[in-house]
Amino acid sequence: MDEQIIEKVVIEHRDSLGGILSILTEIQSKFGYLPQDALRQVAKKTDSSLTDIYAVATFYKAFSLKPRGKHLVSVCLGTACHVRGAPKIADEFSRQLGIKSGETTRDKEFSFETVNCLGACALGPTVVVDNHYFSHVTTAKVQHIIEQARKGFQQSDPRTDHRIFKIQVNCPVCNHTLMDNEHEIDGAASIKLAASSSGKKGTIRLSSLYGSSSTDSDGDFPKGNVISIFCPYCREELPSELICPECGANMAMMTAGKYATFHICSRYGCLGHMLDITSQTQDSLKEMKG
Amino acid sequence: MNIMKSTADFDEFCKTIKGENKNGKPCLVICAGTGGQASGSNDIIRIIKKLILEKNLADRLSLRITGCLGFCEMDPFILVEPQHAVYPKLEMKNVPLIIDAVIKGETVEELLYREPGTTRKCNSQDEIPFFKGQKRLILGNNQRIDPIRIVDYIKVGGYSALLKILKNQNPKWIIEEVKKSGLRGRGGAGFPTGKKWEFASKAGNGSGKKFVVCNADEGDPGAYMDRSLLEGNPHAIIEGMIIAAIAIGAANGIIYVRTEYPLAIKHSLLALRQARSFGLLGDNILGSGIKFDIDIVRGAGAFVCGEETALIKSIEGRMGEPRQRPPYPISKGIYGFPTCINNVETLANVPFIIRNGGDEFSKIGIENNTGTKIFSLVGKIRNTGLVEVPLGTPLKEVVYEIGGGAIGKKRVKAVQTGGPSGGCIPASMFDLPISYDSLTKAGSIMGSGGMIVMDENTCMVDVAKYFMNFLKDESCGKCFTCRKGTQRMHEILEDITLGKGTPEHLKLLEELACVVKDTTMCGLGQSAPNPVLSTLKYFREEYRRHIEEKRCDAFVCKNLVGAPCQAACPVDTEPWRYVAYIEKGQYEQAYQIIRQANPLPAISARVCDRKCEHRCNLGVSGGQSIAIRPLKRFITDRVNPDVYKQTINKNDTKNTGKVAVVGAGPAGLTAAHCLSLFGHKVTIFDSEDKPGGMLASSLPAYRLPRKIVEKEIASLMNENITLQKGLTLGKDMNLKALMTDGFKAVFLAMGAHESWPLDLEGENVEGVYPSIKFLKDFNMRGEQLARGHVGIVGGGNSAVDAARVALRQKEVTSVTLLYRRTRDEMPAYEEEVEAALEEGVKIETLVSPVKIHVRLEEIEAAIREGVELETLVSPIRIFSREGRLTAIECIRNRLGEPDVTGRRKPVPVPGTEFKLTLDTLIVAIGERPQSQCLASMGLEIDKGGRVKVNPHTLETNIKGVFAGGDLVTGPNTVIDAIAAGKKASRIIDRYLRGEPLAEPPGLKLPTVFVEPAAVSDEEMESATRAVPPVLPVKARKKNFNEVEASLSEEQARREARRCLRCDLAFTQDCNRQPETIGDKKL
Repeated sequence: MDEQIIEKVVIEHRDSLGGILSILTEIQSKFGYLPQDALRQVAKKTDSSLTDIYAVATFYKAFSLKPRGKHLVSVCLGTACHVRGAPKIADEFSRQLGIKSGETTRDKEFSFETVNCLGACALGPTVVVDNHYFSHVTTAKVQHIIEQARKGFQQSDPRTDHRIFKIQVNCPVCNHTLMDNEHEIDGAASIKLAASSSGKKGTIRLSSLYGSSSTDSDGDFPKGNVISIFCPYCREELPSELICPECGANMAMMTAGKYATFHICSRYGCLGHMLDITSQTQDSLKEMKG
Repeated sequence: MNIMKSTADFDEFCKTIKGENKNGKPCLVICAGTGGQASGSNDIIRIIKKLILEKNLADRLSLRITGCLGFCEMDPFILVEPQHAVYPKLEMKNVPLIIDAVIKGETVEELLYREPGTTRKCNSQDEIPFFKGQKRLILGNNQRIDPIRIVDYIKVGGYSALLKILKNQNPKWIIEEVKKSGLRGRGGAGFPTGKKWEFASKAGNGSGKKFVVCNADEGDPGAYMDRSLLEGNPHAIIEGMIIAAIAIGAANGIIYVRTEYPLAIKHSLLALRQARSFGLLGDNILGSGIKFDIDIVRGAGAFVCGEETALIKSIEGRMGEPRQRPPYPISKGIYGFPTCINNVETLANVPFIIRNGGDEFSKIGIENNTGTKIFSLVGKIRNTGLVEVPLGTPLKEVVYEIGGGAIGKKRVKAVQTGGPSGGCIPASMFDLPISYDSLTKAGSIMGSGGMIVMDENTCMVDVAKYFMNFLKDESCGKCFTCRKGTQRMHEILEDITLGKGTPEHLKLLEELACVVKDTTMCGLGQSAPNPVLSTLKYFREEYRRHIEEKRCDAFVCKNLVGAPCQAACPVDTEPWRYVAYIEKGQYEQAYQIIRQANPLPAISARVCDRKCEHRCNLGVSGGQSIAIRPLKRFITDRVNPDVYKQTINKNDTKNTGKVAVVGAGPAGLTAAHCLSLFGHKVTIFDSEDKPGGMLASSLPAYRLPRKIVEKEIASLMNENITLQKGLTLGKDMNLKALMTDGFKAVFLAMGAHESWPLDLEGENVEGVYPSIKFLKDFNMRGEQLARGHVGIVGGGNSAVDAARVALRQKEVTSVTLLYRRTRDEMPAYEEEVEAALEEGVKIETLVSPVKIHVRLEEIEAAIREGVELETLVSPIRIFSREGRLTAIECIRNRLGEPDVTGRRKPVPVPGTEFKLTLDTLIVAIGERPQSQCLASMGLEIDKGGRVKVNPHTLETNIKGVFAGGDLVTGPNTVIDAIAAGKKASRIIDRYLRGEPLAEPPGLKLPTVFVEPAAVSDEEMESATRAVPPVLPVKARKKNFNEVEASLSEEQARREARRCLRCDLAFTQDCNRQPETIGDKKL
């Protein structure tokens, strides 16, 4: 157990609202569960009794004291799902995974739980696997869902998946194309950008296929840090108006044709991006600024 | 964005953005809320973006990605502004079509929303009943806003309420307006918001900290309006919170949101950042000197944290145990500071009230229940989604007009409101206006607005058990009576669903419920018994059925149902068992199982309404049910019936007697046959020349070949049975004479052989025939009454039979079926309707002959058929020339509210009359027994002409006279008639032996273990239901050859492998060995 990690989390959240609750939430998001050692350290570092920490950790359903599997299957047992046959769906997951609710498979691939309500009541029975929602689930679909989870939801072949398409971007300042034909990603010209963070400089390249998260970078930036992103030609920082919907950091903007803009999150490692074709907002914002 | 430092800055900003989007560019609106994404809207959005980029359409088309639009059932759907055309349930391949059309200013007709069951398309959102019935004060903005763009919110007037207040700061005025509005807390308890704010404004010593908390811990299962508001319009909540903060003088805000709502958290976080960057939150809001900011605290999955004192503890980072009130959070809340907690929806109402004034708001709704309320209409209902209506709207309007009623042919049974603290309201009370007070009075509560619709497949005992299970897990445990009381109540309910219930259980349950209600501290405990008490109040009969008869009519309680196919069968066939034998190729054993239960297997294999298949777990869970009837057909076609040996009980002559059975239909024949095997001498009397009743006279030969009927009836005869043909009860003989003739018991089973008339003037002209006469004349005597253009009125099997028979008659040119409701409500078997359509029958739905009136005694039957009384008032004229039918006049209907049968009434639309030229009109709106003669013999008859019997013993009011089948039930299925015959034989046998008549209830669970086949998941996944070969439509023209054929052996065995073998759950645990037990007795 990395004591420093716990220490950092405790210091960060000790005085904030939610107190112990947010400390435990943060620890769980880091480790996937609440390790015993971590709870002991939290008690020590917050001057609380271990009983108090344990009480909170076991009172709330979101916490797990056992390690969870790679994939988490949550079957909604809300009233709406219940009357539409959710118990049968839960039984079927239980049968196919060979575990009961609250357990993890021996190979640590799957954890399975039932939850009270996911708030997708109109679509019941609802199942969430690794943050992917499945609606109108039937027992016949269960096997397919498990297989998909095992394969990974993001996996798709850019060459055959017709939801994926190529975009062409330019620098919004000098209008120079940012496409790099020399350096291909996903079999297509990449988007080339210059970046810097606390003195370090580098080039980052993104796939120009919208829907692919492939990148290639020679800069050595720490993950999670906000970096500055520049046009490699005019060296101007790419202007940002939008906030990343994923993490809240500023975004960097490129133009994608006359009316569309393409935004990427400036937090290194964050996959937040947006292809914005509702151009009027951006125009007005520009006016405002001007 | 530079921070705006004054209200003037903001006004200036508003001016710049309001000029936009005036070019009338069409806009595609699509939901990417949790619901939309779960339904695949992200893929649709990608395709739209791709096409806009590729085709360079950005200047001609815009795209708005919104939060929840409410009509979640139709997701993913696109709404096209400005016409508001709705394209529901889109697939990716449809997107290019829509974009092409939108660019040209056209619509894609075939993809437009259509009213279910009709072909009527809705050109715009306003025409769709789901939207038409709503008043979307709060929810309406979700459609106009991309929740991640604050500018969108400002464009639709967002933050203008805040501006109004900042320009003229007066906290008292805010509180006054909110009080005037009458707004009550939308979280469930309904406390007046204005009052709460007033208390909060006075709380504290004037200098200390105060909190405004938005309670977004939407824990009620089945409610999701708060999530949708936070996801789809987070700024409205933020604006409401800022206004609340100004009103009460708070500087700290908290949104407490469930961790299960990641998208709501994401959008709220983003909105807070944007609001800060605009200067709408922070130390100096728009330069006004007001300081207020908002944090987000995530719940960690505890239902009780929706309770305000528990929520406070959770915010403080502790266990969410409620505490005693007072002190109320208003005076002592988070860390002891005054805390004003409001629900999401309450806060979302605030900007409207401030903008338009409290008086304006109070005009909406009813007294003491002002404004609108959002409900999540979910469960067993056609249009699921979020529904916003003024308070005081009758429940039935929400369920039937907006919600579209139950799915398919099901009936709505109840609505559950208020989550685990609420109760179930039965359909009979749907006139109830929805208000805080009326729902409480009905034993439920408003709660946060969950409205879970339940139909006949929902078991109310199971629902009560579900909530008790939920509550026993979620009880924080502080109060003993809540912690233990919910556990005990759950155990009792569990016992009842397992078949271990006793009448004492109910008493104990009621007692416990009252104790828990009276002795617990917080709202969770006090309202925990509601689900139990309300179901006991309104659905006691269901509890009784579970306890006394060990039946779960909804087929939910597994231990009472056993194998659903078996439990569903009126004659107690074990379909799983013969299906298992088919899989093994043991066809004779399969036949034994079928024949054991059913004396008319070959007939049933053709005309049974297959209750087993409708209950098959494969079908119920979304797959295709096992083709049980075709498998039965496969066996009866293949196996020689002689393998089944009938044994007549001859040992016991003392208790045998002479029995008269009147009617040689399926009920009478079955009763006679079974009685004869018990050793009784039976005489069957029938008025026709051939036995069979409806099997011979009504059922057309293309469904049921005459040879099959004759052969199977012959197989039932033995030395104990005498058949007397051509004798009619009331004409050739009477009950008294039968009794004096030495018959010790009489079983009446004459069926229902009289067609209901339309009662239109001129119905007696040539060319208008009752369906019974039309079918009988043809089936028994070969007379072809139909010719030219034929119209059939009705929607049942007999109407469809008549239509298909008419089609086969020589002089017929066309056949049109006229029905008053939509095809979804047609009582005929779906496959028969399909077949009729294939053969060329035209179906006109929502059409009925106009100006009908009924006699009083016919009302009951009319209701059974679903006729709405209002439509049956004025006289009519059938068009005829020289005594022969020439045409009829019809009027078009729309579907209104449901009648007592739960089907929606057809309502005629004035001005839609039209004339239909016809040469033949066959009236098939229902049948009734010809029972006038029975009444004259002293038998009690009801209004529909049905003989009244004790349902448990089939006894009539005359001793020794029993009745069953259609004569008692009105027109019903063949299998139910067989079941009635079987039951009658057992009862009459006991009667003759002098034993008690009523049968003790017993569980019908699988008992015999049959080795299952090894079927891989892959095979199960890929296998599809076997479809029997049918005669091509061309080959059916003008002949009566049997349409459906047998499955091939390969088909049958493959089909049998698909069976889920629900029986194994009951037989496998015993570790029985197939060699030793199993089929020994065969």
